Amino acid sequence: MNWRSIGVLVVKDISLFFRNRLFAVITMLGLVAFTVIYFLMPSSVDETFEIGLYAPLVPPALEVIQEEEEGLEIIMVESEDSLQKGVVDGEYLAGLVLPDDVMDVLLQREILQVKVYFASDTPEEIRDVVDIIITEMVFLQIGQPLDIEWNEEILGPDMAGSQIPQRDRIRPLLAVMIIMFETFGLAGLVSEEIQRRTAWALLVTPLTVRDLFTAKAIMGILLAFVQAVLFLVIVRGMGEQPLIIITSLFMGAVLLTGFGFIMASLGKDILSVTAWGLPVIIVLSIPAFGVLVPGAASDWIKVIPSYYLTDTIYRVSHFEASWSDVWGNLLILMGFNVAIFSVGILALRRKLQ
Amino acid sequence: MKLRRIAVLLRKDLFQGPKNFLFVWAFLGPVAISLVVSLVFGTLFTHEPTLGIVDEGSSQLVALIEELPSINNREYTESSELREAVASGVVDVGLVIPSDFDSLVSQGEEVSVPVYVWGESLAQDRTVLAVAIANQIRELLGEEAPVEIEAVTLGNEMNIPWSDRLLPFIVLLAVVFGGFVLPATSLLDEKEKRTIDALTITPTSVGEVFWAKGALGLIISMVIGIVILILNQAIGTQPALLILLLFLGSIMAVAMGLLLGSVFKDVMSFFATVKALGIILYVPVILYMFPSLPQWIGKIFPTYYIVEPIVEVSQRGGGWPEIALNTSILILIDLLLIALIAVTLRGKRQYAV
Repeated sequence: MNWRSIGVLVVKDISLFFRNRLFAVITMLGLVAFTVIYFLMPSSVDETFEIGLYAPLVPPALEVIQEEEEGLEIIMVESEDSLQKGVVDGEYLAGLVLPDDVMDVLLQREILQVKVYFASDTPEEIRDVVDIIITEMVFLQIGQPLDIEWNEEILGPDMAGSQIPQRDRIRPLLAVMIIMFETFGLAGLVSEEIQRRTAWALLVTPLTVRDLFTAKAIMGILLAFVQAVLFLVIVRGMGEQPLIIITSLFMGAVLLTGFGFIMASLGKDILSVTAWGLPVIIVLSIPAFGVLVPGAASDWIKVIPSYYLTDTIYRVSHFEASWSDVWGNLLILMGFNVAIFSVGILALRRKLQ
Repeated sequence: MKLRRIAVLLRKDLFQGPKNFLFVWAFLGPVAISLVVSLVFGTLFTHEPTLGIVDEGSSQLVALIEELPSINNREYTESSELREAVASGVVDVGLVIPSDFDSLVSQGEEVSVPVYVWGESLAQDRTVLAVAIANQIRELLGEEAPVEIEAVTLGNEMNIPWSDRLLPFIVLLAVVFGGFVLPATSLLDEKEKRTIDALTITPTSVGEVFWAKGALGLIISMVIGIVILILNQAIGTQPALLILLLFLGSIMAVAMGLLLGSVFKDVMSFFATVKALGIILYVPVILYMFPSLPQWIGKIFPTYYIVEPIVEVSQRGGGWPEIALNTSILILIDLLLIALIAVTLRGKRQYAV
């Protein structure tokens, strides 16, 4: 292996890459755009219903419901006017007005009149939910609790009150997307070398096919890996186990470089590489979207190699997964890497021959 | 003018198109932007809580829960299946209704009900499901709460969410990119490569080339426009009217693209002009994003007459009477642009007879 020549080739490729305006702009814009998207997304999860209440006396049942249900927050207000203003301003989902004699009415089992303010854009489902909460409060207050024992079992870590914000959920997806887009750059460069026949010119020199592939692989992995790491550092996505994340990103970069080789062997020029690359990238993005909408994807998603990359980063970032939790994922990813990389090199070698 | 020749040219453009980056981007750009907007502004993944049910007997509670508009429900046959669905986040809460549930609750005996809760489910979703289940059990028992709820709606104006405000921008982007940029660049590409001269040596006329490019833009912009409306759940109740509006809007975009394509000499000068003046196309949608700005300004710009009728039908539920005036103006603009193209074509050379 001629490491000096490989080094020269890598430097040449990097400078060529940034000389191609399309790829240079996409690279820079991509990194900036992904960072902007991250910071634009909500940084917290509001998982409670805030209901404003104006009442001279709060029925104890309402306090019981609020204590039992983490997702409900009753906020007392001083006047009906401020309650209305809060509803219109979107501070409260609904505004409840209880009459002065609320307790007397309930004690005597008379019909309680409750006024509820909603904003004009409150969906019908939310109005139904508020009605149900009021009804349940009345049942509890008049001493008619349900005689049911709920044997509750929480499956998975209980995230109530500490939900993962959308921006953090999307973080692994963005990092994986950055790696994927770099594939275009590598595939474009390789296809250009083939199209202009400079690859054959290089092989006339002491450089071997193995050296050529090594240089291209180093270049592809470097471009993708450095950017993904940079992105995760900027958005503070390294978590408690940065080494696992860095290892996963590196393996992801290797995987995508393998796909880059396959795309380069299929396409004739940059545009056809782009055309071939888009379906590949769309398929590889699916597991990342699965993280955003848990439960939306079924088990078939595990067939897609990028699942093991996304899942590892997601679990390490948000659930403090350690090496012992993700070694299986990394092993499978390694297997995919060997397979895809070998196919990519074989396809390219065939094209060069 | 021969339809067969136009069809041949169109087929060539459609099949060669996927090799062109702009062609691919005309499809993916608006869809990608639409997905990002949905993610950032949270319409795609807003959801109603989902309840999973295993009915070990034949409880009437299942039917009562199905009636609730505020929750989604799924039925499972086995408890283990339900447990798996909860653990993977397919449902937020899983309820196992024992075989003798209905008779036990109606006899006032204590019932033990296993409940699985997905750890990542939102607290508000858990609250909604808990009170909704309790409420339906009371309905099963025929219990009625002594309460009368008076709902008061505050505010007249509907709050326009950002996802809705951005919809016209995305629709216009789809129509403009497919209808305006593609035919123009395709025509300019033919000019730059001098293939248009080669074509006009054959019996193909310049007019037929224009028709083929126009048809290409029309098809692409309409398809993407429809996809964007479907993705944003804005197809409304009058899809035929929306398709007609997209058709008329696409004609405007195509005609403008062909006009510019005939005026400019190369793609670079076209893009430089579009970069500088393209904002004019988007003024109406920018105004739409900020309702506090004087909306009449938008009427000065031709694209207003594409966007306004589409928004009226898809978001405000309007029909033909509401859009008749603006659509008539859109048709007039279309006719004017077509006439301008006809005038431009008169001066074009035709070698073959």
